[in-house]
Amino acid sequence: MNGFLKNKDLLAGLMFMAIGTIFVVGAYNYQMGTAARMGPGYFPRILGFTMAGLGVLIAAIGLKNQAKWAVTEGIGWTWKPVIIITVAVVLFGITLPTLGMIVAIVLLTMITGMAAHDKVYRDLAMITVIMCIFCAAVFVWGLKLQMKLFPWSG
Amino acid sequence: MDLINNLSLGFGVALTATNILYALVGCLLGTLIGVLPGIGPVATIAMLLPTTYALPPVSALIMLAGIYYGAQYGGSTTAILVNLPGESSSVVTALDGYQMARQGRAGAALGIAAIGSFIAGSFSTLLVAAFAPPLSEAALKFGPADYFSLMVLGLIAAVVLAHGSVLKAIAMIVLGIVMGLVGTDVNSGVARYSFDVPELTDGIGFVAVAMGIFGIGEILINLEKGEAREVFTAKVGRLLPTKQDFKDCAGAITRGTLLGSLLGILPGGGALLASFSSYSLEKKIAGPNAKPAFGKGNIRGVAAPESANNAGAQTSFIPLLTLGIPPNAVMALMVGAMTIHNIQPGPQVITSNPQLFWGLIASMWVGNAMLVILNLPLIGMWVQLLKIPYRLLYPMILVFCCIGVYTVNNTTFDVWIIATFGVIGYIFTKLECEAAPLLLGFILGPMMEENLRRAMLLSRGDAMVFMERPISATMLVLSFILLLILALPAIRKKRDETFVEE
Repeated sequence: MNGFLKNKDLLAGLMFMAIGTIFVVGAYNYQMGTAARMGPGYFPRILGFTMAGLGVLIAAIGLKNQAKWAVTEGIGWTWKPVIIITVAVVLFGITLPTLGMIVAIVLLTMITGMAAHDKVYRDLAMITVIMCIFCAAVFVWGLKLQMKLFPWSG
Repeated sequence: MDLINNLSLGFGVALTATNILYALVGCLLGTLIGVLPGIGPVATIAMLLPTTYALPPVSALIMLAGIYYGAQYGGSTTAILVNLPGESSSVVTALDGYQMARQGRAGAALGIAAIGSFIAGSFSTLLVAAFAPPLSEAALKFGPADYFSLMVLGLIAAVVLAHGSVLKAIAMIVLGIVMGLVGTDVNSGVARYSFDVPELTDGIGFVAVAMGIFGIGEILINLEKGEAREVFTAKVGRLLPTKQDFKDCAGAITRGTLLGSLLGILPGGGALLASFSSYSLEKKIAGPNAKPAFGKGNIRGVAAPESANNAGAQTSFIPLLTLGIPPNAVMALMVGAMTIHNIQPGPQVITSNPQLFWGLIASMWVGNAMLVILNLPLIGMWVQLLKIPYRLLYPMILVFCCIGVYTVNNTTFDVWIIATFGVIGYIFTKLECEAAPLLLGFILGPMMEENLRRAMLLSRGDAMVFMERPISATMLVLSFILLLILALPAIRKKRDETFVEE
């Protein structure tokens, strides 16, 4: 069973099949129209079917080569950095408009820094300070973008 | 002479103090990210798009173009000194360049790369100037059916030139097209695939998608591998190549320039393909008895791909400027930049914005000259930069990505989009689905639907219109032949070899 999870073609094919199906199903909510007067559902439906069809082909080829995939090293998903970075970026989106840029940058660099193999806290603190000063100077004072700097600034 | 008049108009624009300054900023930034492995021109241009809002359109485009060809330039420095490609287009430069560096001839390798790039850049700039006007004129005769078929051809060609599985590349294009359709349909006003999220009725932001996949997605992939970087610290040696080097390289530079210019025009082409093909070509011409052997420090193996990637980077502007169709991901971002400034890319730009059109072309030459003058003396500084470890770089890249994307629309939603597409980009890479075709489909999707609808409306629903119009029919036949060739086992094998070279 585990061997199938090493099969990049099979997984990619299944992914395209799933996404294609979602778009086809979604397209039924929109008017199809005629070939001469295409409604909003016409083009997406064709594309959805095409994508699902390609997905079937890709998955089939993957299955055919299953023996070859089974002896590969596997995909080697490394979810830890993915989760750390995604959480940090989402958090940045929340804190930037509410608590201001400085807090947002400090959180972003400190949290994402945790994802490295070889973290050095002193260096991390250093670039945090550099980024805060640089971004404040360039974006807020220089380019005058509408951004809150500190939690208490209006 | 029209060409001379036009070029002098262009230089009039490009040589104003402000525009020289922006070309300089673009070239420096481009070289910087080119030197640093792990961040490419797509992510950088996406990050910097918001900061160009305040600039006049010409200056904005000049700066962004500078980043693109500057990156090709900087990539070679890293390839030669560290044996790591700073940019994907410098992969082949590392083969012979690093060997030359180990033999104490790093300077000559860097010098010939710079000189070859400059010659190639000058030639291809002239090529753009000479061919753009007649092509734009021809493009004005295109009807909606012709445009649709042209885009089909462009996307198919992009598949041919992508690495890896053909089927996956086509599926990625289709995915890109449907993603481009998310948002309000211009004809009916229906919000498609917005799932009642108000932000999605405006569509998914192109900048956010590009930044997510190419900025954050790349970081996620890089974080997986530990870092092994060995900076070549011995003396760089004299930068000026010897007379013998010049004699050896003259042919290589010429062939690299010509091949690169040609491949740059092709959709899906650009710098990457140009450098790979010209290296193979040079190796073939030299034969097995080349001295020193290719891969062992032959200077021609540096000169040819470096000339080719620069030539390809310039000529890939031709389809963008004349047809409004971007041939690669960087050009797709340029479309974004032009739309931000209310310029509709296409054949009309040359007549409606001649200042912008010729200014941009002239600036390419200015930028190339700048790169030679600046970079050779600055090599010491770039070497120092290479010593910054990645663990310090990626948090900085993330800060710029997040702030950059937030400022596009001043909305948190776009920050969440890049987070999402970062993960999606990671999954794509893991499943060996290349993301560049998706980006092309994404930008071309709405245009394709619009032209398809118009063509079918004009023909009253008769799909034969695509075969009856000669231009359209030619494009479709060409696409079909391309697909057919791809299916041939012999060609498929050859294509795989080209991309896994050495």
